[in-house]
Amino acid sequence: MDRALLADLRAALGSDRVRAEPLELHLYGRDAGVDVGEASAVCFPATAEHVVAAVQVAARHDRPFVARGSGTGLAGGATPVGRPVVIVTTHLNRVLEVDEQQRLAWVEPGVLNLDLSRAVRHLGLHYAPDPSSQQACTIGGNIATNAGGPHCLAYGVTAAHVLAVDVVLADGSVAMLGGVTPDQPGYDLRGCFVGSEGTMGLATRIAVRLTANPPEIRTLLLDFTSIDDAAATVSGVIAAGIVPAALEMMDAEITRAVEDFVGAGYPRDAAAVLLIELDGLEHGVEAQVERVRAVGSSHGARTVRVAADEAERALLWKGRKSAFGAIARIAPDYYLHDAVVPRTRLVDVLRQVYAIASEQRLTMMNVFHAGDGNLHPLIVFDGREPGIWARVHAAGDAILQACVAAGGVLSGEHGIGLEKRDAMPLVFEPADLDAQARLRDAFDPSGRANPDKVLPQGSRCGELARIPEGAWV
Amino acid sequence: MTPTKLAVDEEALVACVACGLCLPHCPTYRVTGDETASPRGRIAAMRAAHTGVVGLRGEFTEYMDLCVQCRACEAVCPSSVPFGQLMEGTRETLAIETRFVPWWQRAAYRVLPRHRLLVALSRVGAVLQRVRLVPRRLGLPKLALRAPRLQATGSDVWLFTGCVMDAWSRDVHAAVIRVLGAAEVGVALPDARGAGCCGALHGHAGLESDARSLALRVMRAFPGDAPILVDSAGCGAMLKDYGHLVGAPEAGAFAARVLDVHEFLAAHLDRLPTPTRRFEEPVALHDACHLRHVQKAHGAVRTVLAPFAEVRELDDEGLCCGAGGAYAALHPDMAAQIRARKIDAIARAGTSVVASANPGCTFHLAAAGLDVRHPFEIIDDVLTSS
Amino acid sequence: MSPLERDPREADLLDAERAVAAQVGAADAVAPVGTGTHREVGGPPPAGVEVRAPVGVVMYDPAELTVTVGAGTTVEELSGILSEANQECVLDPRDATATIGGTLACGLSGLRRLRYGPLRDRVLEVRFATAAGELVRGGGPTVKNVTGYDMPRLLVGSFGTLGVLTRVVLRCQPRPMHAQWGHTSDDPATVLARSFRASAVLWDGARTSVLSEGHPDDVVSQIATLGLEAQEGPPPVPVGAHRGRASVAPADVIAVGRSLDAIVGARWIAEAGVGTLHVACDEESTLADARQAVTQHGGWLLREEGAPGLDGFGVELPNAALMARVKTAFDPTNKLAAGRLPLAPREDARIAS
Repeated sequence: MDRALLADLRAALGSDRVRAEPLELHLYGRDAGVDVGEASAVCFPATAEHVVAAVQVAARHDRPFVARGSGTGLAGGATPVGRPVVIVTTHLNRVLEVDEQQRLAWVEPGVLNLDLSRAVRHLGLHYAPDPSSQQACTIGGNIATNAGGPHCLAYGVTAAHVLAVDVVLADGSVAMLGGVTPDQPGYDLRGCFVGSEGTMGLATRIAVRLTANPPEIRTLLLDFTSIDDAAATVSGVIAAGIVPAALEMMDAEITRAVEDFVGAGYPRDAAAVLLIELDGLEHGVEAQVERVRAVGSSHGARTVRVAADEAERALLWKGRKSAFGAIARIAPDYYLHDAVVPRTRLVDVLRQVYAIASEQRLTMMNVFHAGDGNLHPLIVFDGREPGIWARVHAAGDAILQACVAAGGVLSGEHGIGLEKRDAMPLVFEPADLDAQARLRDAFDPSGRANPDKVLPQGSRCGELARIPEGAWV
Repeated sequence: MTPTKLAVDEEALVACVACGLCLPHCPTYRVTGDETASPRGRIAAMRAAHTGVVGLRGEFTEYMDLCVQCRACEAVCPSSVPFGQLMEGTRETLAIETRFVPWWQRAAYRVLPRHRLLVALSRVGAVLQRVRLVPRRLGLPKLALRAPRLQATGSDVWLFTGCVMDAWSRDVHAAVIRVLGAAEVGVALPDARGAGCCGALHGHAGLESDARSLALRVMRAFPGDAPILVDSAGCGAMLKDYGHLVGAPEAGAFAARVLDVHEFLAAHLDRLPTPTRRFEEPVALHDACHLRHVQKAHGAVRTVLAPFAEVRELDDEGLCCGAGGAYAALHPDMAAQIRARKIDAIARAGTSVVASANPGCTFHLAAAGLDVRHPFEIIDDVLTSS
Repeated sequence: MSPLERDPREADLLDAERAVAAQVGAADAVAPVGTGTHREVGGPPPAGVEVRAPVGVVMYDPAELTVTVGAGTTVEELSGILSEANQECVLDPRDATATIGGTLACGLSGLRRLRYGPLRDRVLEVRFATAAGELVRGGGPTVKNVTGYDMPRLLVGSFGTLGVLTRVVLRCQPRPMHAQWGHTSDDPATVLARSFRASAVLWDGARTSVLSEGHPDDVVSQIATLGLEAQEGPPPVPVGAHRGRASVAPADVIAVGRSLDAIVGARWIAEAGVGTLHVACDEESTLADARQAVTQHGGWLLREEGAPGLDGFGVELPNAALMARVKTAFDPTNKLAAGRLPLAPREDARIAS
C-alpha cells in the first residue's frame, strides 16, 4: 500500500523530496511533545505547487497528512497519527516580500520566527509574537497553534498579526483566506484557520503584520522571597493601570536552572522572580518604571534591577527563553501544561499546583506568562523510574482540573494537539464541541487533515444526519 | 541479537528533551532542513541505535557522518547536552564496529603525526600544485615551497606548532612569535618531531585510541609549567580537552596550561606598543566554531583586534563555515553549501578581508576566493609597519 | 455546572439566553435585532421573528481586564461602567447606542483601529444561540486562549447568520492618561512614518488629523514632533442619506482618496495606515460611483446605510463555497438572518435526505 503512495509522491515531487527510510520515519515520529506516532512518508516540498501535489496524492490514496515545521510544538500537534504523509515546510523558507510602507511581509510557512524579525530589523520593524522557541520555530507552526510569547501581553497573539493565508485544503484545492485590505466580506475564515493546528488545511504563503520597534524599552527584574508576593505584584501592576509589554514569572527552581545556563545574574536564592518589560515613548515608560518599582516594593520585592543596556536586556531574556530546555539539568523528562487562569486567581491556583506536586512526590517548577495568567507548570522527572508516568499523568490531570475550576482554559499558546485533546470536555459542553467539529468538517469534510488532533472522539453529535429534507445549502 | 551499545554516557544521551532550540544553529540542518541532519535528530538516532531500534550500518552511519562537529548545538543547548562527546563516542563505536573510517582515511590520519613525512608530502604537493596536477575542488590552500624557519625567542610561553598548521601555515606561527615578541614575551618551541599532531582529527573520526596516544606524546613535549599557547582553534580545543580524553590528573593539569593565543594576548595587551595606524580595511570577523562554541574565547579575539583594525561582526550568530577539520575534504558538496551561507554573511558585512583563527576555516574560505588572515597576521602587519 | 455560572447574575443571564435560544430554535426565520443602529449594513434587514439578546454587565473585575456582558447591552452602558474603573473596551461604534452584539455581528471596527487593532481582537469568548435552539460557547474567558477553534473570530462580522450572540467576554484596557487630537497639512504617509503608536490618523484629502494617547508629556511631544495644531475632538466623519465604508490596501488610501475627490458629491474621510474610508453622499448614484472607484483599486465598499438600489457588498464573497459550507454547518435551513450575506444556494452542496 505504501509503495504505491510513495511512488506517486515521488512522481509528483521528485524522488529527492520524498523519504521513507525507517530511521528517518522514526525521527519524524514526534515533535517536542511527548507523544510518539508513525509516519508513512516524509515530504520536503519547495513550492506551494509541491504542497498541493502532496496533499492531492494523499487524497487519492485516502491518507491523512500532517504539516511539520521545526517540530518545536509541545502538544503533539505534529505527531503523525494514522500513518500520515508528513509534509515538512523547512524548504519553504523564503521571506517573499517585505512591504515597509504597509508594515507587512509575505512569507513562506517554513520561515523561522526570529529570522523574520532579523530580516526586517534594518527597517526598525519586528514580528511581534515571540514564543520562547522563536529562534527555532516556524511562522507556519506559529499559525497552527496561534502561538503566543512573552510580548503577546501587550501586542496580542499570532491571530492579531496574520493578515492573509494561502491555504491548501484537504481536497487539494487552494484558497486565500483574509487579505491585506482591513476587512473582507463574509466570514473571517482567516481567523478560524489560525490556531486550527493543521486540521483545516496547510498554509503555503502568509501575510503578517510587522510592528514598529518601540523607541524606549526598559526591562526590570524583581525578586521575591515568596511566590505569593510575586503573584500579588502581578495583580498590583495590572491594577495600577499598566499593561506591560511582557510580564513573566519564574519560580525558585527554574530560576536556578536558568542561571546555571546563562549566568545573567538571576538571584539564585529568590523564591520567585518577575521579568517585566515596559516599552513605548519616553515619559510613559519612565513613569511606568517608577510605578512598577513602587508596586514591587510595596509587595516585598527584595531588589528591582533595571537592565542597563541592550546586552543586559538580551541576557535576561535569554534566560527566560531557555527555561524549558534548561530543566534537563534537573531531570531528563518533563511534562508541561499551558493552562490559563484569571489573573486574580494566580496565587490560589499556584498554591494548588504545588500541593498537587508534593502529593504525587514530583518536582514541579513554574515559568510562565504571569501577565496573561498563562501558567506553565512543569513536572520534571526521570521517565526510567518505575511507575513515574502514572504519577505524572495524575498530577497533570489534577492541575488541569484545578485551573479549569478557577475559571481557566486548557491552553494559552501551545495548542491542544494530541496531548490535551481528551481534556477538552473539561471546558466544553457536548454542544460546544459539536459546533467546533462542524466547523472543522466544513473545512475538511474528509477528516484527513491532521486527524485525531484538537477534538476528542465523540465530539460530533450527529447533527448533520438530522438535516431536514431539501435543506438550503 | 543484543544491540551494539554506543560508547557514550547514557545520562548524556537521555538529557536531550527534544526542544529543538539547537536546530537553527546546526549548519547541516540549515542547509537540508532535515531532522536527520540536526543535532536533535542525531541524538534521537543515537538513542535508537543504542537501544537496538536500528542497526549501526547504512542510514545511521550516514546521519552521523554528515555532522561537521562544530558543536554550535552544544553551546546553545539549554540542557547542556554534551553533543561533542556523544558524537565522538558514537564515531568511536562506528570506527570499531563498521568501516566508518576507510583505509585511505586512516592512512591519511597516520601521516599527520609524522611531521617530516607531512612536510615532505606538502612540498611534493606544492610542486604538483604549481604544475597544476592537484584538482582545485580538493580545496587545498596554496602550499608554500619553502616555509620560514621558526626561531625560539625565550621561555615565557610555549607555542604549540601542530602538524598541518606548521606544514602549511608557518607564516602564522612566525607572526605570532613577532607579535608576542613586541609584547616582550619570549616564546619556546617544541621539538617538531615530539609535539606534532594534537589528535583532534583522529578524535573527530572516532579513532579514540590514536587520539589518546597522540595526546600523551604532546603532553611529553611541553615540560614545565609555562603556558602553552595555541594559534589554531581546533587544536586548542583538543588540547584543552585532554583531561577528559586521557582521563588522568596530569592531563587535566596539562589542559589547564593551554590558552588560545588571543586569550593570552588579551591579558597582556598593555604590553604592546600603541599602534600609530589601523589596518587599511575593515575586517570581517569569522569565529571558528572551536574557538566560539567550545573554547568560548571569541571575545578575546575582539579584544586583541580592536586597537588594530575596525572589526565587522557577521550577522549569522557564529554559524559554522563548513570547514570542520577534514570535513571539507570528506564532504565537499555539503561543506560548499554551508560555506555559501557564510560567504553571504561576509558579503553583508561589506568588506573583503576576513579574520579567522583556525587553519581549517582559513583554507576552506580561501578556497572560495576570500582574503582570509589570522588575526595575529593583521596585528603583525600593523605593528611592523607602524 | 461550569464555574462561571455560580455568579447569580450569570445564572440570570443564562436563563435569559436559554429563552433566546428556545425562541430561535422554534422559529422558521430569525431576525436578530439590537437597537437598530446597524440595520442597513450589508444586506436588507432580514425578515423573521425578531430576537433580542439579553442585557446586562454580569461580571466585571477590573483587575482581570475582562468584562462579561449580555450581547444586548449597549456600548454606551458598558462604557459607563468601565469608565468608573478608568478602563475602556475599544468597540467605538459610530453610534454608542448600538448593542455590543450588533456591533460585533457587523464587524465594523472603530476609528482607533490603527493602534488597538480590529474589533475581532477584542472578543475573548462568545455564547450564541444556534439554529437548532442550543446555546454554544466558543473561545474562553481568559485573555489568552487557544483551547479549540476560534469561534469568536468566526462570529464577529457574521451578521447573525451563524448564530445569535447572547453573551460575550470582552478584553478591556486602562484608559489612556491623556488624549489629544491635532491636525496638519502634511500628507498621511509622512505623518504615519514619523509617529509612534498614533491611535488614529485620519485624512480627508486636505487635512491629516491625528489622535495621540498616552502619558501627557509623550502626547505633547508627539504633537510637537508631528507639528500638529491641537483640535477639539475628532474631525467630522461624513454623514448623508447614503453611506458606505471602503476597504482598500493601506498603501492605496491616498490614490483612492484622490479618486473619491474627483466624484462630485462624495464626502469621505480615510483611516490612514488601516485602509478604511468612510464615504457619504446625498445621491445614491454617487455611492455607486464611489464603489466603482474603490473597486478599481482592488478594494470593496460595504453599503452601511441608504442606497437601496446597491447591493450590500458589491462583490462576490471570496471563498464562497467554503463559506457556504460553514453556513450550512451552523444553519442548514438558512433561517438565521437570511439574505444578510450574499451566499448563493449551491446545488452541489445540497445534502440528500
